[in-house]
Parts: sequence; structure tokens; C-alpha cells
Amino acid sequence: MKKRLFVIVLVLVTLLTGTSLNSGRIGLAQEGEPIKIGAVFDLSGATGDVGTPYSVGVVGYVDWVNANGGVEGRPIELVSQDYAYDVATAENLYVQFVEEGVVAFMGWGTGDTEALRGRVAEDQIPFMSASYSAALNDPAGEAPYNFLVGTTYSDQLVIMLQYMLDEWVADDNDPADMKVVFFHNDSPFGTSPLEDGEAFAVENGIETMRIAMPRGATSYEAELTRADEFGVTHIIVQNVSTPAALLVSEAADFGLLEDIEFGCLNWCADEILIELAGEDAEGVLGALPFGPTTVEVPGQEIPSAWLDENDMTLEEATLHFTQGWWTMAVMVEGIRLTLAAGQELTGENIKANLESITEFDTGGITAPITFTPDDHRGNRSLTIFSVEDGVWTAASDVIDLRTEE
Amino acid sequence: MTATQCGVFHESYGSDLQLRPTTMQRIRIVLVLAVVVILPLVANNYLIRISNSIIIAAIGAIGLNILVGYTGQISLGQGAFLAVGAYSSALLTTYYDIPWPIAVVLASFITAGIGMMFGIPSLRLKGLYLAVATLAAQQIVQWVLNNWDPIDGLQDGRATNALRIPDPKIFGYQLNQDEKAFYVFGVLILIAVVIVTVNLFRTHVGRAFIAIRDQDIAAEVMGVNIFRYKLLAFATSSFFVGLAGALLAQHSTAISWERFTIEISIQYLAMIIIGGLGTISGSIYGAIFITVLPELLREMGDFLTKSEVLNADDFRLYLPFIQRGAFGVAIVITLILEPEGIVKMWRDIKNYFRLWPFSY
Repeated sequence: MKKRLFVIVLVLVTLLTGTSLNSGRIGLAQEGEPIKIGAVFDLSGATGDVGTPYSVGVVGYVDWVNANGGVEGRPIELVSQDYAYDVATAENLYVQFVEEGVVAFMGWGTGDTEALRGRVAEDQIPFMSASYSAALNDPAGEAPYNFLVGTTYSDQLVIMLQYMLDEWVADDNDPADMKVVFFHNDSPFGTSPLEDGEAFAVENGIETMRIAMPRGATSYEAELTRADEFGVTHIIVQNVSTPAALLVSEAADFGLLEDIEFGCLNWCADEILIELAGEDAEGVLGALPFGPTTVEVPGQEIPSAWLDENDMTLEEATLHFTQGWWTMAVMVEGIRLTLAAGQELTGENIKANLESITEFDTGGITAPITFTPDDHRGNRSLTIFSVEDGVWTAASDVIDLRTEE
Repeated sequence: MTATQCGVFHESYGSDLQLRPTTMQRIRIVLVLAVVVILPLVANNYLIRISNSIIIAAIGAIGLNILVGYTGQISLGQGAFLAVGAYSSALLTTYYDIPWPIAVVLASFITAGIGMMFGIPSLRLKGLYLAVATLAAQQIVQWVLNNWDPIDGLQDGRATNALRIPDPKIFGYQLNQDEKAFYVFGVLILIAVVIVTVNLFRTHVGRAFIAIRDQDIAAEVMGVNIFRYKLLAFATSSFFVGLAGALLAQHSTAISWERFTIEISIQYLAMIIIGGLGTISGSIYGAIFITVLPELLREMGDFLTKSEVLNADDFRLYLPFIQRGAFGVAIVITLILEPEGIVKMWRDIKNYFRLWPFSY
């Protein structure tokens, strides 16, 4: 009986694989040949809390474009999958999607984007991800096909340090007394901006310390004690919202929060942090390359209308939704330019057209996006926000590193 | 289908030593080889890539099975040993300009050495206690990967934790891009590994391993130097695991510590338990099962969403979680149906046909 059951299961599995492999990919029945774009999202992995709204943004933009005549009359077909923040899965999916003929690719994390950059260059597939690691901006060398829509983590950190330093000096303090602790996710994503931040600190005579935040930790007391013993005056977090919120709350319980400035780079400066940390989040600074949903700029209107149609609100969707939306918009702009110029839709042509984008307007969600053949960083500027009465509120003007250099 | 050895008489020591004495067994192996040869000719890049992942996993699982399945020493340090192999080969090629095939071999030996070092506690520790000791290996190696400068963030002086691997080339083929070339290369290595390990357990060393597993005190009474053979088991096992890690590195364009976490260690344990502890073929079946199952579930999920049967947005959102759950359920069902692993299932199928149509 058991054997027969096994044979039946075997036959079923074979049939299912056979059918799914043959018919799993059904093209969209719309006018014009669809443009295939591949994407991996983290819906169920370590960064799923922010990955899910981001994916809704990317999918939403594609839906909106297709409903509004497509790109030069051609619909976009988004081939996407959850990869659970697993690099090997991302690589498999990438190979699979390229096999299916995608012309561009939307990645997600630093780990997978760094792992894929060589392959991406070889296959000539323009690649944008939600990882703003400065190492990915290397158009002449390792990463010719990677584009960064958001301000790089390094630039975010430097801008945040610059802002903190200015405030510190304005309060009649000596820069030499400034002690910054970088709390970071224990991964490539977490450590990627630290060297550039430390270089800036050394130039300005600021003391720094790195403290890794162990994955899945339920308490950061030990880490906070170390920071306290160091004599911390400023904490900057490079991690996602959930652990960052825990850190903020514990720092408040620890009595640290009253005396120090607390700053978050973009992946923890969001609505989730405010929701989880509540009152403790008051006064927390955020380096936000993508404006929060509470900021009224034209770039919120179309995404928000699309959300209305789909029974969601901008508030629920969080700023990661608009982030995904406008990242996809920049990629599609490169494709649109290629088609508008009457060129063949190859990765090489899309790359060339992306590199011609100057001052692309994201409706105020980000600083205008400009790519050049030598620089794939869309912008190097952002506004520092702070939490006032539970809302991210602009605390500075736009700080632009390009003009400062 | 039957390959019964009943009625096969050996008239020389040579014929007694044959691995596959009956014609049927030989036909079967030829069929398997035929599939292996035909696959790259008909499959697309994606399927070959999955096959390559299977090959690497199979080598690693064989390595782990030597330690866990044959010698009875539980190890949770698989991810760490894979990492040692991967990073050794990568660093040797990057910093010392050693040709990659030599680096792969050296990396295997380095991993064998490190594995032996972490095997020392096995003299005093058994079972779960040893598992915890090997867990330390996992944590220590992971910490080193994250904090040791040559590995961490020292690439072109820029902040990046993913170590870029110089492109491995063989006869003009670039192995980390050309899936077919890697497949040919990988299959040859896997065959070599299988032949070596199958024969290992026909030697006195292999039998000493098995004796230790079955009853260590009895083995010692029989004159097996337990410490020596346990260390040897750790070294042999780690050698193959290091080889798998080195191949993994050469197959990727870049590696980062995220590929070598404790989850990987557990995944490999799952492979050999599902495939069959203490069997070489079981390691391969397990590697196939664990590598293919998530892909299969993904394809099925894709099929379901696209076939308009279940096109609801809610379903799309929950699909990843359903898939992860299904992965666990599939493993549990397999183990309930056959606790001795896929190897036993295959044996049952063979027996079924052997007696067909007259079952008892």
C-alpha cells in the first residue's frame, strides 16, 4: 500500500512538473510585444517588512503604466518572484528570468546585488535595486550595468554626520568631543557605508565606533552598554526598521536617548519605526532619499490615486511603496527613451539611454535623478527629517554633496 | 529492472571486488550516465544551473554523510566548512594569483585541516554535545568572515563585503558564466568523488569509521584507534565539503557570508537524512530533493497564479509563505512515508518490480 502510494505521488509530481514547466509562463494578451522586466522581491525573508511595500510599488507602477497605454504602446510584463533574501535563490531566479528574455532587472538587497553584478555586466542587463551600497557605483569597472536611484548609503551617512556635526558645533561643542556609534546590521548591507563614514569622521576629528546588531536579537542591552562606556553622543543606525525600533526603545529605557542624538539611514527611517517605537521615536533623525508619505509633493499623487483604486492608502503603503514606484519609473524611463529613439531594446541601448537621463523629475520624492556614463549615482543629496509628533518632518534644507565638492 | 545478485558466482578475487557485478546493474548505470550526458543538450541554462547547484550540493552532502552517516559524528558546522573552502579558494586566487584549479585543491586541504581542528572535541563529546561543539565552528567562522580585514571590505579599498572571484577559465570557457562548461567539469568531479568514497568504505579506514558509528567501545576493543579515526573522518569529510565550497565559489561571481549560515548547515543535514544516512547515493538523492523542491514549489505557485484559478492579489501575497510551509510539509511527509530516506524508497521500488507480478 505504502509503495503504491509512493508511486502515485511520484507520477503526480512528474505530471505537475511537466505541466508547470511547459505552461507556467503565459504571456499577457495585449497589443504590442510585451517588454519583459525581471524582479526579485523579499516578501518572506529577513527584510520582508520593508520589502513587501517596495514590491507593491514596483508592481503598482507597472500596472499603472499598462493601464495608461504602456511604454510607447507596448505593455510591460513583470516577471517577479519572492527570493526570501537568499542570495543563491536570487541568482537562480536571475538566470531563469534572463533565460525568459527579460531586458532589465529589479533586484533588492545588497548581498544579491553585489553577487549578481558580474553576471549582470556579462549579460548586459541594466540592474536597479533597493541597495544603495556605494560599491555598486562602478560604471567603469565591476558594475557597469548597476544604477542607483537612491542616494548611496555612504552619502547618506556622510550627510547625516555633516548635519549632526553642524548642529553640534552650533551648540558650542568641540568636534573632538563628538563620539558617534554606528549600529549596523551584521551583513554587507549594514557595513557598506561605514568606511566612508569613518573617513569623514577622521577628517573632522570625530571619534567613531562600530557595533554590530546580531540578527534576531531580542535585546540590545549589551550593545548599548558598550556604546555608553564609549561615551556616545550620537548613534547612527544602518539597519531595517524592526530592529532599529527595538534599539530606540531600549535606548530610551536605558536613559541614553535624552542625552544623545539618534539617527537612522533610509532603511529604518520610515513609518514602521514610528509605529513600533511610539513616543520613543520622537526627535529621531532620518536620512531620507525618498520623501515620506506625509510630505505633500506632486510625486505622491499618481501613486496615491493608484492605491485608492486598489483599496489601499498611502499611509498603510509607507514610503517604501513610493520608493519602489519611482525606482521602477526611472528604469522604465530608460526603456521609454530607447524605444522613442527607435533603437532596438537591448540592455546595451537601455544602459546608454539611462546614462543620458538628466534631472529626471520624480515629483519631489527624491532629488532629481541624473545618470552619466561615469557616475551611476542618481543623486547625492537629500533632506534630513526628524520625527515631530509622530510624523517625519523636514529638519534641514536639501544637503547636496555634489555642490559641496 | 531487477538486479538480483542471486545466482551470481565469483570465481576470482577480481570479480568479487566488482562494484556492479550483474548486467542489469551495468545497464542501469549506463542509463543514468546517458541521462547525465543528454541533459545539457536538451535543457536550458536555468535547468543546467539547477543541475550545477545539485552537483555542488551532492559533493557537500557526500562529505557530510561520511562524518554523520558513516562515522556517526553529528556536525552542525557544515556551513562553516563550506565557507572555509569557498573563501580559501577565492583568497588564494585573488591575493596569491594561484591558478584556480590548484586553489580548489589547496582549499580542500585547508578545509580538511580546519575540520580536523574542530574535530578534536569529538574525542570527549558525543551526540548532541558534539553538535553544539561544531556549532561553535559555525559561529567562529562566521565571525571571522565578518570581521577579518582581508575578507571584509578590503576590495579596491572600498566598502563591500561580497568577495569578487576572479573569473575561472578552462579551455577558454568561463565557468562562472558558462553553465554548460561548469556542468561538464562538475559532473566529472562528482563521479570522481563518488568512486573515491564508495571505495573508501571498502577499505579498512572506511570500515573503522563504520565500526565507530555502530559501537565505539567495541571498535576500540577491536584495535581501532578511535581518536585517530575520528579525526580522519573529520578531515576526509571536510575535504569534500571544502571541495564543494570551493566549487561553489568558482561557480559564483562573488561570495558573501550570507551563503554559509547555520541554515545551510541544517539544510545539508536535511539532505542526508532525507536521502539516506550512511549511503552515497542517498546523499545525491537528498541533494536533488532539497535543491529541486523549492524550485518546483515556485513553478507550481507560478502556474497557479497565472492559470487564473487563483489570481487573487491576496493569494499572491501569501504565496511565499505557503511555499515555505509546503517545503516543510514535503519534508515531513517524505520522512513519515520513509524514515530511512529516499534510498530506501528506491530499494522498495526495485524490490516491488523484482517480485512482480507475484508479490507475497
